[in-house]
Amino acid sequence: MEIAYYPGCSLHSSSALYDLQTRLVLKKLGINLNEISDWNCCGATSAGKIDDFLAVIMPARNLGIADASGFPEMVIPCSACYSKTLMAQKHLENDLDLKNKINAEFSKKVTGSIKISSILEVLLANLNELTGQANKKLIGLKPVCYYGCMLTRFPYDLPVPDNVENPKGMETILKTLDANPIDWSYKTDCCGASASVNDEEMAFSLMSKIMQDALARGANCFVVTCPMCQLNMDAYQDKFCEKHGIDKRLPVFFITECVGLALGMGIKELQIDRHFIDGEGLLKELDIV
Amino acid sequence: MTSTVLEFNSEIAGLFGKEVMERSGQNLYACYQCKRCASGCPAGEDAEYVTPDRLIRNIIMGDREKALNNLLVWKCVSCYTCGTRCPNNIHSSRITETLKKMSKESHLKPLRPKVFFFHDTFIKNSLRWGRVNELEFMGLFEIMNTLNVLKKRVVKPIIDEIINQAKFGLSMVKKKRLHPGFQASKGRHEIRRLYKKENKKWK
Repeated sequence: MEIAYYPGCSLHSSSALYDLQTRLVLKKLGINLNEISDWNCCGATSAGKIDDFLAVIMPARNLGIADASGFPEMVIPCSACYSKTLMAQKHLENDLDLKNKINAEFSKKVTGSIKISSILEVLLANLNELTGQANKKLIGLKPVCYYGCMLTRFPYDLPVPDNVENPKGMETILKTLDANPIDWSYKTDCCGASASVNDEEMAFSLMSKIMQDALARGANCFVVTCPMCQLNMDAYQDKFCEKHGIDKRLPVFFITECVGLALGMGIKELQIDRHFIDGEGLLKELDIV
Repeated sequence: MTSTVLEFNSEIAGLFGKEVMERSGQNLYACYQCKRCASGCPAGEDAEYVTPDRLIRNIIMGDREKALNNLLVWKCVSCYTCGTRCPNNIHSSRITETLKKMSKESHLKPLRPKVFFFHDTFIKNSLRWGRVNELEFMGLFEIMNTLNVLKKRVVKPIIDEIINQAKFGLSMVKKKRLHPGFQASKGRHEIRRLYKKENKKWK
């Protein structure tokens, strides 16, 4: 199967490992990713705070390229990019005036035809292929699935492919791989996102609550889809735990890492060694690698 | 003992409310102060009156000054929890986003300068190259920040920040999470052109 792919800035820089894993894992499942040409930044959460017009036209240009690519579907693994692109598509469906302005200027026209998918939607649609090919059981892995904000909550009326407050997509995938995902209360709570840089005190307080619930439930790792959640919970874990008196540490895996491991890929191949909190020790202890 | 009377100019109060509603696309008159937004708000829970219901009330009462000076405008993390739980579908994060812009247009100092510098630098960087280059973006953000702190003529917070960020940067390098590479998109010209054509300005 051939689908379009929008990596976004993060997956081409600090979360390049997520880009690599997504390509590896989906290729193994028979899905070929076609990165859309000359894509631009989606504006992330910043555009809406600076200029509403930019918040629509930045993702709109990518939508035009994607529509013109002829693929029926485009996967966007980064939750912020996914959310912003999906919202711009919805906005332009209702605002024909703006759509015409955009199409008069941009070389690739927005038609609204392409289906925007999160990484979970693509993995869930190929669950049979995944269970068929999985050759390593993730027995002993007790993750709390952390979805964050952007995957299910939108300030627009959008059909959300999972439950808004209690999504279960990641749990479904992990259960088929024989992991034992743990029910918890913070799966859609906010990690603070950019607040880790611009309002550290608040972000650390939010992340420590997420961490405390995960530990209280007996989890041995986090699993995430959002590169911002991953970087925050991973890179700042030592800092926010020290500040809030938490002794234990938990590795923060991308869903693509869990799927990759189940498909027989190794630590080096998936670049799991680029995490701040060591995940290798746990995976070896559980005999997964 | 004196009794107090609420003084307000209905026209001015109405105009402010109308502007916020038009720009945010949210019908604030639908709010009946049930505070479901407040109970789910991760930014407002620790501080008094820094919750969406209070902010909405400020706006409905026509209190422009209080609304623009509500700390939630700058503490809101746009997690959209309030909006998904509001029985009247009011998305308060769209309101804080709108008030950030109105505050800037009124030449008010942002209550959380770091938050403003972050988003402003992010968008400038993404429009400059078409894609965000994290090293340049974070560097410029830190410079904006340092200049702002310098105005207060204190050095300690700057040194602390530099040490803090240098340590963090080093750990990012160690884990190969910091990319020295440069990325750009030619599409930036198309975006800038359309932006200019619509006579849009944010600075």
